[in-house]
Amino acid sequence: MIRRMKSFWLTTALGLMVLWLMVPAAAQQAAASGDASRLIYDDARLLNQADYDELDAMAREYGAKHEIEIIILTTENPENRDVVQLTEDFYDAQGPGYDKAHGDTIMLTMDMRNRDIYLAGFYKGEEYFDDARLDRIREKMTPLLSAGEYRQAFETFIKTVDRYMNYKPGFNPDNILFNLWFQLGAALAIGGIAVGVMAYRSGGRVTVNGGTYEDSGNSGVLQREDRYIRTTVTKRKIEKSSSSSGGGGGTTSGGHSHSGSRGSF
Amino acid sequence: MPVIEYKCPNCGGGMEFDSGTGMLSCPSCGRKDDIGQIPDPLKQQVFTEDEVKEYHCESCGAVIVTEPETSATSCSFCGSAVVLSERLTGKLAPAQVIPFAISKEEAMAAFKKWCRKGRLTPKGFMTADRVQGITGVYVPFWLYDLHNDIDVHGHGTKVRSYTRGDYRITETEHYEIYRKIRLDYARLPVDASQKMNDELMDKLEPFPYDRLKPFKTPYLAGYIAEKYSYTDEELTPRAKEKTAPYVESYIASTVSGYTTVNLSDKQVHTQVKRSDYVLLPVWMVYYDYNRKPYIFAMNGQTGKIVGKPPISKGKVAAWFAGISGITFLSLKLVAWMMGGGWL
Repeated sequence: MIRRMKSFWLTTALGLMVLWLMVPAAAQQAAASGDASRLIYDDARLLNQADYDELDAMAREYGAKHEIEIIILTTENPENRDVVQLTEDFYDAQGPGYDKAHGDTIMLTMDMRNRDIYLAGFYKGEEYFDDARLDRIREKMTPLLSAGEYRQAFETFIKTVDRYMNYKPGFNPDNILFNLWFQLGAALAIGGIAVGVMAYRSGGRVTVNGGTYEDSGNSGVLQREDRYIRTTVTKRKIEKSSSSSGGGGGTTSGGHSHSGSRGSF
Repeated sequence: MPVIEYKCPNCGGGMEFDSGTGMLSCPSCGRKDDIGQIPDPLKQQVFTEDEVKEYHCESCGAVIVTEPETSATSCSFCGSAVVLSERLTGKLAPAQVIPFAISKEEAMAAFKKWCRKGRLTPKGFMTADRVQGITGVYVPFWLYDLHNDIDVHGHGTKVRSYTRGDYRITETEHYEIYRKIRLDYARLPVDASQKMNDELMDKLEPFPYDRLKPFKTPYLAGYIAEKYSYTDEELTPRAKEKTAPYVESYIASTVSGYTTVNLSDKQVHTQVKRSDYVLLPVWMVYYDYNRKPYIFAMNGQTGKIVGKPPISKGKVAAWFAGISGITFLSLKLVAWMMGGGWL
């Protein structure tokens, strides 16, 4: 009974929240005032109002679904600080988090001055989004960012976060094992091969090999020669990927540990 | 007297080879004779080339109906085991024989069991109730001793790759390879009967050569025996063909440690050191299913059965669906355990 009451209140609260969010003016107002529930800090003005609203709604929807705060920060970086520093300072100062202040967060920071990008996961975000997963998300976004398709890049970010949250931490979500078509194809292939082998072997198999009739006492290598002739050497310059990346997570000066992936676009 | 029969010295009944004891035994009185001890009537015969080509059963006098290859059979009228000696002497004299170790009843039981085991065979076939006949046949084989002199020339590379600074450096060492190999094969069997399917006979191998006995006609009593249709010379190419993949893999095994190997020049000189004419025991099973004949062969010593059984489309579909389904579910399960969800 008590549980039912609890869930009733929770639903009501959530419903109210959704209602409140559906009023764009209110959302915009809240955003302007630096409210804790603001998710997209488009200080570099990369998005128009319609895109902003759409992304904001997405971030809220998926954030609520996985109980994680999805934060996007874009900045012209007037003080020319490092993108990791920007991210950490933002987290310490704003204290985003779905469960509590300085809580579960996944964050995307864009430094438009140096064209750097940094992804960071805090707490549950760090658990689910290790450096490798953040690298994958960043790699998906980089081409879009380079092309200036910011809205699409952010959408990719949010959607990928949504998808990756379904996979337990530690596994590669883009593992081919998770692909339905691969699963189907592999299953059919294995079935086909198994039946084919069964049909082929139904008539009996050859169970003799070279060893069966070999007269090993009289067989062998009489003479062998492995004469070295020459060595050829080829040198190839290792191509460096155009968008540099590196660095993982760290700890903010406020003492919050996080995972990370850094790159340029 | 080209027809040999085995009359029991006790009761006069027709004696037959007994696969269980390996002796010539009389089904009427139970007398058993060790074949190694009794004199072979074949040896005492003087055989002339212009002998009549018609054979009469010694017991009932009826004409023995045979095919030209048959060297042992039973009289179709009285059932006595008869051996046609002219087809087993001179050039046609087998050097050795492996007698049957599996009796007709055992062969039949084993065949029925094998039919039931077939995972793709139709249900009606599995009961094995339409077996037309089961015949013990001594199939003529040539056992070849082959001597191969092999000279191989080729080129091999060893590749080493490492990174130095910004460069990926690949070092390829080139080698000239030469191998001189002596490779002998002993008692390689090649089926010499025209009637028998080569593929089927190859699959029956191996035959246990430790059971080889010097040839004596009583081993054939009660069975069908054939004489060879092809001489050892005619079948030498087939023997070479059979050893070719063995030779290839042997050569490959002597060249190791290279990244790539290209054996450009292989000279294989094969010499037949010896070829023995032997008779090997095979149970032939004739089976009619859906008005189509199927032939199976069973190694008369090891009991290995070969031959293509009919394949049931329904069973193929069921196995395919089952295996694919289970694989799909297990993949899903693995994905799910890794946190993939069911989508």
